[in-house]
Amino acid sequence: MNGWALASTSFLASAVEAVEALTIVLAVGVARSWPVSLRGAAYALGVLALIVALFGPLLHLVPIDQLKLVVGIVLTLFGLAWLRKAILRYAGRKALRDEDAAFAREVAALRTAEDVQADRIGTITAFKAVLIEGLEVAIIVVTFGAASTVALAWSAVGAAAAVLLVALAGVALRRPASRVPENAMKFVVGVMLTSFGTFWTGEGLGIAWWGADLSLPVLAAFYLAVSAVLVAAARAPREARA
Amino acid sequence: MKPAAVWAFIAGDSRFAPLAVALAIAVAVLLLRGAVASQTVAVAFAAIIALGLAAAVFERV
Repeated sequence: MNGWALASTSFLASAVEAVEALTIVLAVGVARSWPVSLRGAAYALGVLALIVALFGPLLHLVPIDQLKLVVGIVLTLFGLAWLRKAILRYAGRKALRDEDAAFAREVAALRTAEDVQADRIGTITAFKAVLIEGLEVAIIVVTFGAASTVALAWSAVGAAAAVLLVALAGVALRRPASRVPENAMKFVVGVMLTSFGTFWTGEGLGIAWWGADLSLPVLAAFYLAVSAVLVAAARAPREARA
Repeated sequence: MKPAAVWAFIAGDSRFAPLAVALAIAVAVLLLRGAVASQTVAVAFAAIIALGLAAAVFERV
């Protein structure tokens, strides 16, 4: 169960980030040219590979309990940030991310830039998008994988599958993936990251969870229920005024 | 990269959520040292984090 849960969470988180990066890469490709866009993406992937290769193995030098504590705290913070954003979007307090609008914005900005500079700006834009979104994926993959080599394999497989799937969809569609239910994915990933984070932070502190790994679905159900209540509560004052 | 940017990258723009995580850890450490049952500590720990999420949803940023 743990392996599949890790891979699924890693898959969903990576898919959300890959869709955001793909939108920018496509926008640069359409507005300027595909070599400009793909060059920026390739540079970013190179830097990402270097970062993971340098810092990934260092995690194994840290004692496992301390590592679980640090990884758990990072995952909990990450998860809470994602969950909060998804709840606010469901409650109508924050605008839903619109990939079509983001795509149109980038295309318009690049088309108005001076030709001499536009290619350079395009490469840098694609580079930044892939690097930032990729870094989030790398953090999730490496922190999940920090628990064991098996966990790293599950986590990496989930992320690789998501990135590959989104990239193939991008090649096939040549349009941003606006129909992906991004907020729903963010909501689920937020619940999963918070659950894993709570579990590992607790283990790092010395809490013996009921049923060991069996506590994970219980924690996920608890955070899901709390989040559903929060969506309704955050929406209520707005509807009461209407 | 500035530390503030790294922090925002990990924790987002909420102040209450990280505070709740810190509080949950502090309470868990105190309860574990006081020989409170692990299951009770686990429930308190998850509950404080959930309360932190609630506070973060309603905080003004």
